[in-house]
Amino acid sequence: MSKNLVPTLPGTDLYCTSPGAYTERYWAPVDLDPITLSVIGGALDATAKEMAQVLYRMSYSTLIRESEDLGAGLFDIVGREFCESDSTPMHIGSLPGYIRGINRKLAGTYQPGDVILHNDPYHGAAHSPDYGVLIPIFHEGRHVAFAAATGHLSDVGGASPGLSVDAIDVYAEGKILDSVRLERAGVRNEDLWEHVLGNVRAPSQNAGDIEAMISCCRLGVRRWEELVAKYGFDTVMSAAEAWMDHSESKLRQAISAVPDGVYQAPAGFLDDDGKNRGVPVRIATSVQVRGDEIIIDLTGSNEAVNTAINAPLEGSVLPTVNFAVRTLLLDEAITGEAVPQNDGIFRAVKLRVPVGTIYNPSFPHACSSRFPVINRIPDQVNLALAEVLPNHVTGGNSASLQALSYSGYDPATGEYWIYVEVAEGSYGGRSGKDGLDSIDNLMSNTRNTPIEEVELRLPMRSHGYGLRPEPAARGQWRGGLGTRRVWEFLAPVIVSASGDFRTDPPRGIFGGEDGRRGRIIVDHGTPNERELNSKFAGLSLPAETVLTIEVPNGAGYGDPARRDETARQNDIFDGFAPTDPETGGRGTPAPTTSPISH
Amino acid sequence: MSASSLRVGVDVGGTFTDVVLHDEHRRWWVHKLPTSTHDPAEAILAGVLAVIAKAGRQASELGALLHGTTVATNLLIERDGSKVGVVTTEGFADVLHIARKKRPLNFSSYLDVPWQSDPIARRGLREQVRERVDTRTGAVLEPLIEDDVRAAGRRLREQGVESVAVCFLASFANPEHENRARALLEQELPGVFVTTSTECTPLYREYERFNTAAVNAYVGPRTGTYLRNLTEAVAAEGIHAGVRLMSSGGGTISAEVAARQPVQLLMSGPAAGVIAGRRTGQDVGRPNVITLDVGGTSTDIGVVPGGELRYKHLLDTRICGESLMVSMLDVETIGAGGGSIASVKQAGGSSVLSVGPRSAGAYPGPACYGRGGTEPTASDAMAVLGWLRPETFAGGAMTLDLEAAQKAVATLGFADTATAAAGIVTVLVNAMASTTRILSERKGLDPRDYAIVAQGGAGPAFGCAVAEALGADSVLIPAHPGLASAFGLLGSDLRYEVQATVWQRQGEADLTKLAKTLAELENQAHASLDADQVPAELKQIERSADVRYAGQGYELRVPAPDGEVDAAWMGEVAKAFHLRHQQTYGRSFPEQEVQVVNLCVAGVGKVAAHTAPQTAGSKLDLAPALPPGATRHAEAKVETGAAPVAAAAAAQPPTTDQRTPAPATTVNATWWVDGSAVSLPTAVHNRDELEPGDLITGPALVEQMDSTVVVPPGFAGPVHPDGTLELRLSPGPHQTEGKHA
Repeated sequence: MSKNLVPTLPGTDLYCTSPGAYTERYWAPVDLDPITLSVIGGALDATAKEMAQVLYRMSYSTLIRESEDLGAGLFDIVGREFCESDSTPMHIGSLPGYIRGINRKLAGTYQPGDVILHNDPYHGAAHSPDYGVLIPIFHEGRHVAFAAATGHLSDVGGASPGLSVDAIDVYAEGKILDSVRLERAGVRNEDLWEHVLGNVRAPSQNAGDIEAMISCCRLGVRRWEELVAKYGFDTVMSAAEAWMDHSESKLRQAISAVPDGVYQAPAGFLDDDGKNRGVPVRIATSVQVRGDEIIIDLTGSNEAVNTAINAPLEGSVLPTVNFAVRTLLLDEAITGEAVPQNDGIFRAVKLRVPVGTIYNPSFPHACSSRFPVINRIPDQVNLALAEVLPNHVTGGNSASLQALSYSGYDPATGEYWIYVEVAEGSYGGRSGKDGLDSIDNLMSNTRNTPIEEVELRLPMRSHGYGLRPEPAARGQWRGGLGTRRVWEFLAPVIVSASGDFRTDPPRGIFGGEDGRRGRIIVDHGTPNERELNSKFAGLSLPAETVLTIEVPNGAGYGDPARRDETARQNDIFDGFAPTDPETGGRGTPAPTTSPISH
Repeated sequence: MSASSLRVGVDVGGTFTDVVLHDEHRRWWVHKLPTSTHDPAEAILAGVLAVIAKAGRQASELGALLHGTTVATNLLIERDGSKVGVVTTEGFADVLHIARKKRPLNFSSYLDVPWQSDPIARRGLREQVRERVDTRTGAVLEPLIEDDVRAAGRRLREQGVESVAVCFLASFANPEHENRARALLEQELPGVFVTTSTECTPLYREYERFNTAAVNAYVGPRTGTYLRNLTEAVAAEGIHAGVRLMSSGGGTISAEVAARQPVQLLMSGPAAGVIAGRRTGQDVGRPNVITLDVGGTSTDIGVVPGGELRYKHLLDTRICGESLMVSMLDVETIGAGGGSIASVKQAGGSSVLSVGPRSAGAYPGPACYGRGGTEPTASDAMAVLGWLRPETFAGGAMTLDLEAAQKAVATLGFADTATAAAGIVTVLVNAMASTTRILSERKGLDPRDYAIVAQGGAGPAFGCAVAEALGADSVLIPAHPGLASAFGLLGSDLRYEVQATVWQRQGEADLTKLAKTLAELENQAHASLDADQVPAELKQIERSADVRYAGQGYELRVPAPDGEVDAAWMGEVAKAFHLRHQQTYGRSFPEQEVQVVNLCVAGVGKVAAHTAPQTAGSKLDLAPALPPGATRHAEAKVETGAAPVAAAAAAQPPTTDQRTPAPATTVNATWWVDGSAVSLPTAVHNRDELEPGDLITGPALVEQMDSTVVVPPGFAGPVHPDGTLELRLSPGPHQTEGKHA
């Protein structure tokens, strides 16, 4: 059985999240007045938000609850998105992949009351920990839509708990469920439920989280039915189509304003694949703008690797590309307008990437630790378009995300404790303003866990949580600063990491200084000091070890000589620049200047 | 606290200052005058003295002066607070810079985050000192280096800071270092406002606690000055009752406490509105209410199930982008009001109408104010629909420029302006309904069981439509919708909240520690009430606990039982939590272990006045002061000591007494019926003329000085003895003949 059949657009080698605008309709189109259109648009938007709130406030997994690593919304029968929750950028259009995944097996067999579970990363899932729950919606006996949700579960079985950079294949990641009916026509398959919760490390948490996803989808179904009851099926469908066309035209308009051409990002490199130290993993990115369409081309990127840092195409890479384009061209802070998130956002965005690369791996490559890999795509697209979109791009971003999992055995309770920490990043300098410091970067948008909560719960003590002490990358607009966290372990600990230091630091643009790489250091400033890799699994450290984690600093934007004098003085006062800029003040290495400045 | 129950409530709005006096015989007087923007105290004093004089009383007789203020809120909104320095534990100066590291917008790289772009305390003014206590035990790990504190104080003094927040890690477990540092800083910085994080909120979660203290320092000096001046001015006039302020938590606190903790005042106005709405519901026997407080630029929506005040979840206690860890009533504010501007945008091949959040503001205001506004607003839509009438606009105090309204609405490009106007109202109403649904249904509360209390100047215009969109049970319009906040102040109790993080799992709880903490908190609460001389019989101690399943990241607040803290007590707390979790999220996990994170004690002085005016069937006198500056006695008949109206009786006024009053006039107004704008003959009533038992049937307009009640076709209901109008959608078709507008 071939497991690698994500279809390209007919007659091309391009992938796209959207099946395209409607050519045939399963409703009778009606003319809409601007009032009804506004009200139905508002209702769809509110429904997606409400669905997400149910999910994240009642869930157990910290990744759903704190990170809002979830997606929720309403879709048509082939996966066109009517609306999506504004919870995390990670799931902008991942659920259409899930829907295509289940349709290939179940289309035509759905019944009212079905609840379908799916997490197959080779058939649309974002990655195996992101379970999807999908409920078909019916109107007068006909299947007309889906309510769907996905969320990151605490554990899905597999070789190791938490992070598993070194999984050898997709089976080692965890249990894969391919389009299974948890409920058939309203009746739960108890044997399947037992199987779903069996052989995972957090069965009761998973049960709570899956129930939360079901509640969330049921709410979506209810809201949809209320809307149809009030306005009529034909009107609701017509309004949904109009809103998709609206978002599509907004994005196409923005793309049209970019001069046609092929724009190349400088080659990027990941530190390594998590196993083969010192062997960088290549990322190639070019952007082709043609009229009102945009193609992100990842041809030339590294071949798929034998660790888990490959990225599922449909559920992860396409959403990332959608995010990159939407954020650059429809940045709400620039346009002042919130364009609704729906299928229209996907239609003008195409992806080219050869089968067999890290961004289009073939089965059965492992692909669960893909975050540091995919978050480089928007940074690359940003650099590629710097020359033509100078007022939308940022200097190079931290892009990589450093996740660490700490765990240990507690003899008092006889149980393991586990804590996954997602460190923040930083943005490069921006046109007219400095880069954001110490904040989640690009596709990542999570909350931190309070230091006091960690200390109350776990045998860990903080010796500091703040901005990195080195000066910010210089520029007319400075780069943002990443953070430094210092943890002391009060008991023996097992540490795993998934991240990327960026051996190629975030790139300065228009003469701005490059950013600074990240580090993880054991017992910093002692004779035992040693640096660790950005990706590793299962490192045991004794009690009283002190671990220092530094995440990359963003790059500068524009010639530092053009920085405003007041800003310069503020930098010194607020500690973003050394008192003596000639020496760097703190013994820091001489700055390098970006190769892509003009 | 004086024994007198002569009370005054003063609400200071952007345009008007509303004053309501309530006496021991449950009579009341109102006074409305323009707000003295340069110094709000001026109008307050003038208004209070005027209302006292009109009631024929002496200033010295006043038992309480209750005040809702936006002074602190405005400082934060306008980013016009003091220059703040922070003194913090070494290694943690950037906690305020990192915040919770989440971006408010997902799809934006150019967004600004206020904690970095416009910090409350800039990075160069955040000083670090050596000290550390243990988060779990409070034991000192590193002693406070006092020379560090003095040096930090000197540097901040040189920088000219106006206030200082002391924010130490783990201080919730042991506040001694913070307290000592404050004492040292007060020596180094004489006259400077110094606050500590544990003083503002002694709970765990460093970012929220630090930020609460920083914001307290930011608004502290100027709010304090305002309150001191007001208190002195009031005392100089012979009012010895002092001033009490409405807190975000829906109770009042003394001016002295408010001056130390102005961060408690940030939601003062919306909280008073909720208290007022709760009272309106209770007075007519409807404990389940949704308060809809519509002003010119925004709408505050609160949900009160069974008369119980609900508090915001920690993740939602945010004002102007600042997360704060203080008790706030669960009120949501949206940018939709009478002044919200409508526009038409192209959507794909279609056009779409949107309304707000941009507002015409107070000046020039909506086009129909005739002050040069040209963009169409919700008020203009109401004028076009015939809901606002030139003859009676603002009680005749203002001119309604109908032509300007029509011109503005016509700019939207609809085939006819009536449809455009009806559309503006529909879109606005749906935005309100949508927010209400999130506030209620998300928490397991079904709006069908609720009455909407429509208040604020514009609330009564939209109340019925919002109720219809939600399927709410009914709509209540209080006698004075425009004075709701001032009435809310009269209906509020004194309330001092004290809290502590205890972090105890049910299975292994240290009951002695819990009992000791509770006793300490209760002593503090008693002390606060004693400071306000609350007599013992009016004192009430309320316990609650913030609880979660061990392993969850957030708590829910549940009531905790009185009595001894033992295993049974813990069991009751757990039971209450399972129930609340079930209600909030649709499920609970009774087999899972429960963790008590925080304990909270509220010391309540039960001093609220019954604000429902008593009447005995006579004509209601509901006219508030008109024109502004005049006062007027509510000539309600008095039944001294009358019990509150019995709930059941109030809920269903005797139908036999109902009669349909003759309208003051009948006009043609436009209504949205079955998807199109239809002109219908519409009865217009003067609210002053209505009597209890009068039955109002839509389509109708009920006009009063500061508001117009819009009763759409299909809605009908009686006037209650206290003047509240209760409207309901009658089942079945309610279309009457009309012609397309």
